[in-house]
Amino acid sequence: MEMDRRAFLLLAASPLYAGPLVLLSAGEAKLVDALTNQIIPADDAPGASEAGVVFYIDKQLAGPLKRFRPTYARCIPLLQAACRNTSGREFQNLSFDEQADFLRQIEHGPDRELSSFFSLVIEHTMQGFYGSPEHGGNRDEASWKMLDIVDVMGGHQH
Amino acid sequence: MSILPSVDVVVIGAGAAGGIVAEQLSLAGLHVVLLERGRRQSFGETGHDELRSQRTTVLGNAFGPDDERYVREVAASTSGGQFRRVLPSEGEYNNIAACVGGGTMSYGAMAWRYMESDFRMRSTYGALPGSTLEDWPIAYQDLEPYYTKAEWEIGVSGQAGANPFEPARSKPYPMPPLPYNHEATLLDAAARRLGFHPFPIPMAINSVPYQGRAACIQCPHCVGFACEVDAKNSTAVTVIPRALGTKHCQLRTAAIAKRIVTNDRGNAVAVEYFQDRQLFVQKCRAVVVSCSATESPRLLFNSATKLFPQGLGNRNDWMGRNLQGHAYCGATGLFEQEVFDGLGPAARISCCDFNHGLPDGLKGGGLMANEFIRLPYLFSRNDLPPGIPRWGKAHKEFVRKYYKRAIGVKSAIQEMPVFESRVQLAPDLTDAWGIPTLRLSGHRHPHDIEVGRFVAAKCEMWLKEAGAVKTWTSLPGSGLSGGQHQAGTCRMGNDPKTSVVDRYCRIHDIDNVYVVDGSVHVNNGGFNPSLTIQAIAYWAAAKMVRDLKKAI
Repeated sequence: MEMDRRAFLLLAASPLYAGPLVLLSAGEAKLVDALTNQIIPADDAPGASEAGVVFYIDKQLAGPLKRFRPTYARCIPLLQAACRNTSGREFQNLSFDEQADFLRQIEHGPDRELSSFFSLVIEHTMQGFYGSPEHGGNRDEASWKMLDIVDVMGGHQH
Repeated sequence: MSILPSVDVVVIGAGAAGGIVAEQLSLAGLHVVLLERGRRQSFGETGHDELRSQRTTVLGNAFGPDDERYVREVAASTSGGQFRRVLPSEGEYNNIAACVGGGTMSYGAMAWRYMESDFRMRSTYGALPGSTLEDWPIAYQDLEPYYTKAEWEIGVSGQAGANPFEPARSKPYPMPPLPYNHEATLLDAAARRLGFHPFPIPMAINSVPYQGRAACIQCPHCVGFACEVDAKNSTAVTVIPRALGTKHCQLRTAAIAKRIVTNDRGNAVAVEYFQDRQLFVQKCRAVVVSCSATESPRLLFNSATKLFPQGLGNRNDWMGRNLQGHAYCGATGLFEQEVFDGLGPAARISCCDFNHGLPDGLKGGGLMANEFIRLPYLFSRNDLPPGIPRWGKAHKEFVRKYYKRAIGVKSAIQEMPVFESRVQLAPDLTDAWGIPTLRLSGHRHPHDIEVGRFVAAKCEMWLKEAGAVKTWTSLPGSGLSGGQHQAGTCRMGNDPKTSVVDRYCRIHDIDNVYVVDGSVHVNNGGFNPSLTIQAIAYWAAAKMVRDLKKAI
């Protein structure tokens, strides 16, 4: 509980905070946000974290993607536990490169449940980053600006 | 339960075929009720949302069926065994849109005629072990007038004579082709250098104003979406309004057919359907089932009686079998310069050099065409060359650099029908109305993968010649096929022992039940099937009008 509250305050204080979470706990959101930041990192263009992809995932898990809710609920603690086992630290406390190394181990590792969870988060991150902002991600059309297709995609307001 | 006074014909399914049959019968003065499980949809409702489009469906199917009320089960492996539940928004469900217009509301709108050999596959190639490959009971020449009718009534843009492999046609297209985009210009020159025969893809899209509707504005949100200006020629904007205009046709939406009621002589007398949870019994003189190659057999299975214990049309265990779609394959090429011009529908150029006449005993083949515009989410998932990771910095850089520098050339390989690839009723699974739903099982014939390998290599060759600096191929998988090109499950044939309907789409041992949709295809050609489904709808409707008028 205390942990969740601290994580929530951290999240609320970060520029990522775009509105209340509807489903994920603050602690869960923090981990999912860190995963999305690895899946599509920032460079001179925003990454998935800056584009608010965690809010896409949160919103859709409460809607059309609700069938994946149990998977997130079960696998987030499992992923943290695996991370503590490997490194002695929470995932968010690893450096960027350490996080990437850990995720590559998960991706190709023997734990089928965790590797398929990571595949699922990859899918959802791509949806949230490249899909329409109306679904909660792709804030300010970040990916469309990166690809220089804002004009082409400009029908989303319909 | 409400019993409704008799009409001449109940047509179930307002899609590619049902809309045409309803129109033709009502124009002939017959009284028709057209039942559609979905709703009327408009562009304003579905918009330009890639994640809900019929191409991705990751946040649900914009055009239905919805995840809340529909479910199926699929075999967990090609060897059968366990079944698992799947929702309509998941690929393995093999959904086809559930709305007025059916799949034609959101299709890519390629409008192909099958070739003469497509109707004579067994005669052309002989038998193939593991396949029920057969000739159709009708020839291309039988359908030709109806292909022409479909092109003019629905509206197809194209260039007659541009495809040297196209069979003889009695009339040109009613509209000129859409202009080539940048990709097509590059590919056209490359194809000619290779000795291929490129030509503009025929499309059920208005290149010029037609029948009072606008010309295409070449927006990128085409395949998978409803058209913003109604330039895409679905049955929802063409034949269905004309059917309603006769005043002889009533369209009832959100109407879920439960079963066809037959009498003790085995003839249909009514259709039971739910609307707002209420059960209606619509009495009628004849029934046309146009629900798709998965849903049509489902309704016929669910209409079983003592006289037809395995379902209507299923005396010999042929119904629900030979489920097929296309074995998709192709290649992607990366270019140094930008090749993306943002103009829809983007799929503009094709070659039929490899639809037939392949070497090494390969049977059939498929058209090659450049791909529809890939919107960014699909590109990020489906167009990765070998060696590019699925995530991380390198993935982002790839998408960023190549989104506008990639061309896909794809093929829809004609599949060899497999008897074991099938839909059946699921023993313990129903939809929200309590109607037994489907289970799907089977596999693709291995021959399709060999043909796919051959044609994919030609696609790759084409891209290389066009200047691609890196290319790679994609091949068909071995799993069950179907998808939005689903066909084959109520085969048309002369022999009742090995088919479900006769050459006019009437169920062999029932006087007044017809199946009119892709279900009746003996095989599915190496082409998108919608125009053939529509030609058959005109062909079958003409016979129905003759028979039903005579009986009055």
